[in-house]
Amino acid sequence: MAVVEVKELKKSFGPLEVLKRISFEVERNEVIAVIGPSGSGKSTMLRSLVHLEEVEGGTIAIQGENLVLNGQYAKAKHLKEITSKMGMVFQQFNLFPHLTVIQNLELAPKLVKQRAEEGYRKRAMDLLAKVGLSDKADVFPSKLSGGQKQRVAIARALMMNPEILLFDEPTSALDPELTGEVLDVMKELAKEHMTMIVVTHEMEFARDVADRVLFMDQGEIVEEGSPDELFGNPKKERTKAFLSRTMRNRSAE
Amino acid sequence: MSLDYLLTILKPMLEGAQATILLFIIAIIASIPLGFLLTLAVRSSIKPVAWLAHSYIYLMRGTPLLLQLLVIVFGLPLLPVVGDYLVLDRFVAACIGFILNYAAYFAEIFRGGLLAIDKGQYEAAQVLGLNRWQTTTKVVLPQMFRIALPAVANESVTLVKDTALLYAVAVPELLHFAQTAVNRDFTIVPFFVAALIYLLITMVLTLFFKWLERRMRFE
Ligand SMILES: Nc1ncnc2c1ncn2[C@@H]1O[C@H](COP(=O)(O)OP(=O)(O)OP(=O)(O)O)[C@@H](O)[C@H]1O
Ligand SMILES: [Mg+2]
Repeated sequence: MAVVEVKELKKSFGPLEVLKRISFEVERNEVIAVIGPSGSGKSTMLRSLVHLEEVEGGTIAIQGENLVLNGQYAKAKHLKEITSKMGMVFQQFNLFPHLTVIQNLELAPKLVKQRAEEGYRKRAMDLLAKVGLSDKADVFPSKLSGGQKQRVAIARALMMNPEILLFDEPTSALDPELTGEVLDVMKELAKEHMTMIVVTHEMEFARDVADRVLFMDQGEIVEEGSPDELFGNPKKERTKAFLSRTMRNRSAE
Repeated sequence: MSLDYLLTILKPMLEGAQATILLFIIAIIASIPLGFLLTLAVRSSIKPVAWLAHSYIYLMRGTPLLLQLLVIVFGLPLLPVVGDYLVLDRFVAACIGFILNYAAYFAEIFRGGLLAIDKGQYEAAQVLGLNRWQTTTKVVLPQMFRIALPAVANESVTLVKDTALLYAVAVPELLHFAQTAVNRDFTIVPFFVAALIYLLITMVLTLFFKWLERRMRFE
């Protein structure tokens, strides 16, 4: 059974149709890269999965439970249960600036899970070690570089033990020399078989790490396939055009 | 000008300063929470509540504080029927006027603080599973107070100076005693003494807020 099942997803902003009946599935332990030009609806699609956007039609099922079924959302309590299986990492990190790094990690589990507190400290320190920031536990986010902030944000998302981790252009706000440290953490997670959906402009990452690549354009999934297929032998004209444009930009840099 | 003279006028003026400081403390302690409640009312999803709060803020900020004080101290008792019940001690009446007026200003300041919070903060909180109450108390309000702090400091200094309006509703305070001494002794000195006392109060206040801002810098 697929962990994420999306069928015929529809979403508009006013007259603008942003998602035009999108369907795809994600299997357990899969890493999916979502690529496509700006404005194609990648963020909207990702945000719909965690109910940051409300869709108008279609179905989203997470581990077989319907978040939306044919445009009908689940009841509030159930809805929260379903979205809690997913964690999200944002382009702009969205760390809580008034809390230290460790407090950022501990806030949600303490409030939401409400179990004995000692467990969280240990887990938080373990996760900070995992992202290479053990020495930053007690500093405020304002003292961190962009790459460090994003690694904290990943650790914070992991604190909730998500089944699926969503990334919306996690390295796009970073200076080029800082993207590597974040991508390394993500590669590590992929190796541990974390189920991930990653919206990204990093074509190398998509090629090297993803099991499957979705190419979106104008609110549709135009083409999907293994990285080899999609990058090596794209079938659709739109995919070819997009890839040659991005590759050209890349070599121009 | 002798030291003796300074000492003789200083005593009544410091007594006057007590009224000034008392008014300041009462007004600030009451108007900040009230202003915060107003902010919540403005953002309420219940339309009439939001509309009322909006109108209230508009009225209080759009008319002079002096006019509001005159209305409360001298105007309300003239109302038919209810007027007799609205004859308050002038100092108490003035306090109420200051509280009602400053609450509106603080409400605007807090509203600005809320607007300055990035929408990504709400989104991160939601995806982490925080409910609305948890998001408000643990994520939004701490940031709002921090953002609002410099403006709150500013407004507090203004409040210190606005206490001089007590003079106009005949509550004896610092300026009243200064003016009395000037008239009686034909010297400008009491005005300077008054100025120094105001400066001293605002300086203490400014230092306090600087300290608070440093403590809340999140660095
Ligand atoms: N809240 C909103 N209100 C109105 N229009 C929106 C809103 N959010 C997104 N859009 C529009 O929807 C379209 C898809 O946006 P989306 O952010 O999903 O694209 P994207 O593929 O993530 O682009 P990018 O690569 O630039 O992040 C765009 O045309 C965008 O302007
Ligand atoms: Mg986007």
